[in-house]
Amino acid sequence: MASKSNRAVMEPETEKAAHSAELLLGLYKMLVKCRMCDEKARILFRQGKYKGNFYSGVGQEATEVGTSYSLREDDWIAPSHRDWTSNIVKGAPLKYCFAQLFAKVTSPDRGRSSPAHMGYPSLHVITPASSIAGQLNVGTGVALGIKKLGQDAVVVAYFGDGATSFGGFHEALNFAGVHKLPVIYVNQNNLWAESVPLRLQTALTNLSDRAKAYGFPGISIDGNDILAVYEAAQTAIARARAGEGPTLLECKTYRWYGHSEIDPAKYRMKEEVEAWKKRDPVAAFEKLLIEKKLLTEAAKKDIATRTTAEIDEAVEFAEQSPYPDASELTDHIWA
Amino acid sequence: MARAINMLEAINEALSQEMTRDDRVFILGEDIGLSGGVFKVTDGLLDKFGEDRVLDTPLAEGIIIAAAIGSAMMGLRPVPEIQFADFITPAVEQIVQQASKLRYRSAGGYSCPITVRICCGAGGGSGLYHSQENATWFVHEPGLKVVMPSNPYDAKGMLLAAIRDPDPVLFFEHKSLYRQTKSDVPDGDYTVPIGPAVVRREGRDMTILTYGFMTHMSLNAAEQMSKRGVECEVVEIRTLAPIDKETILNSVRKTSKCLIVHEDKKTMGFGAELAAILSEEAFDDLDGPILRVTGPDVPAIPFSPNLDKAWQVNPEKIMAGIEKLAAY
Repeated sequence: MASKSNRAVMEPETEKAAHSAELLLGLYKMLVKCRMCDEKARILFRQGKYKGNFYSGVGQEATEVGTSYSLREDDWIAPSHRDWTSNIVKGAPLKYCFAQLFAKVTSPDRGRSSPAHMGYPSLHVITPASSIAGQLNVGTGVALGIKKLGQDAVVVAYFGDGATSFGGFHEALNFAGVHKLPVIYVNQNNLWAESVPLRLQTALTNLSDRAKAYGFPGISIDGNDILAVYEAAQTAIARARAGEGPTLLECKTYRWYGHSEIDPAKYRMKEEVEAWKKRDPVAAFEKLLIEKKLLTEAAKKDIATRTTAEIDEAVEFAEQSPYPDASELTDHIWA
Repeated sequence: MARAINMLEAINEALSQEMTRDDRVFILGEDIGLSGGVFKVTDGLLDKFGEDRVLDTPLAEGIIIAAAIGSAMMGLRPVPEIQFADFITPAVEQIVQQASKLRYRSAGGYSCPITVRICCGAGGGSGLYHSQENATWFVHEPGLKVVMPSNPYDAKGMLLAAIRDPDPVLFFEHKSLYRQTKSDVPDGDYTVPIGPAVVRREGRDMTILTYGFMTHMSLNAAEQMSKRGVECEVVEIRTLAPIDKETILNSVRKTSKCLIVHEDKKTMGFGAELAAILSEEAFDDLDGPILRVTGPDVPAIPFSPNLDKAWQVNPEKIMAGIEKLAAY
């Protein structure tokens, strides 16, 4: 079941009828927020405002916003290292997201976890380990728990192309297939696993083909088309809530920057990067909304200004927050 | 009312009673349902509780543990099984990188109340990959509790305590103890706390620190040496992590000598940690070196019967250790 959507250009009338202005503008604002937060995180790292590393998702925003935007409070997200912004989509206040980067005591994990490895328990975002595909496994376990408790919550699990080579990926999806677990496996295929290109990672072109091996649907879509992502995700979420089982949603996308902020990504060709930048998911959606007269230039500037102010306030909070005290080192090993 | 049952029956009873008492508890693992477990430890539970609570899993230790971890985050109390400790290695990623660190990395936002049952240890000439005893690997990971009972009474009580514990517990079951030992086990609800070690035999001449199947070997050796006028105090360390330093130190301060006995290999075995603790905290009380009688440093127990026998940690080897230490 492959669906390569090109809706933004081809079916404008259908779009307008299918989605409310409220939803479209909501998606747009969230895309802008994720984009601006991510770029800010990069700047702050380069200014030496926090240590460690940052794994930018700029260029991939539609894969997160489109899949998690309309999740309920009781739904779960299982993020990996490039999904710091998934906390934002789930509703985490920006001030705590920036506190996370700075490893301040006001972060959800009191400065324990690495900057980009953010979770948020009260919003059901699982604090990730760095282990690739780790979150897929734990998220699959959460889905088992959801099913056992008779709930209709879902788990959205994010991972890249590299993760699909990992043994744990196969174990998790196989298990979810057997038990028809409510997981949406969102494979953000950005063609590079750090510096390893897709052709050395797998013999496949469409990673969604893997779903056949586990007995559930796999779909490949343009991960930079926010509405394609949103619609595919809604279908998958509805399936999951109805007890029909998992979906593997391959979102073809691209990360603009290196694997991390210390990776200049010289292994990629400039032409490839430039070609993908022209397919900027935020700019493309902006263009569509302006064409549909749902967004004006003035409104666009206003959103950017407000978001900047929100971010500045959040960064200020993070900067003012204290670090955790050294005496906390041995807390939270046991109950 | 207490009656004599073996460890296998005691564990089965603990699982059955706890699953009756607490709806949140369920078990999962390979061959545990339809087959009742390869040693029959979970026999009858599928019939009693159904597929929803007794889950035969795919052949994949990683997801067995991960499924448990995630379910526990949802408030359930899963008890996954690792069929043989020799096959725990694919699950180490989940146990070490997820279970042990989940509470810590989330500053208490998430927790992981799972109990992993693991069948371990030498017995019946099972060979290289059905005999390993690797509990010590996990003692090295803060955030995990590691227990190994040596008798049916402790097995039932500690398993119940483990399932009710808010943190991850690795519950090691020595396969040679499943049917070999019987003790009086109450048929009702009780727990044996995770943590405290126990003095199994009092003595004034030296302390033997031991655990698991070696508890029985050590008691056997102590009885035999008693006839030669050496009285050994045998302290069974039922909980390997967290270590009950108080009981251990009290005993060694009393006897002034310590012999450590464990089945697992010598180098970096549990005895190495105990020796370091005693050296740090009981140096002034020691009248002799801290000696260890352990499994040899070979990669695994070879199959051929005479090699297996050469490998074994038996009362004779323990007695030789006792004699050597007694001479100081």
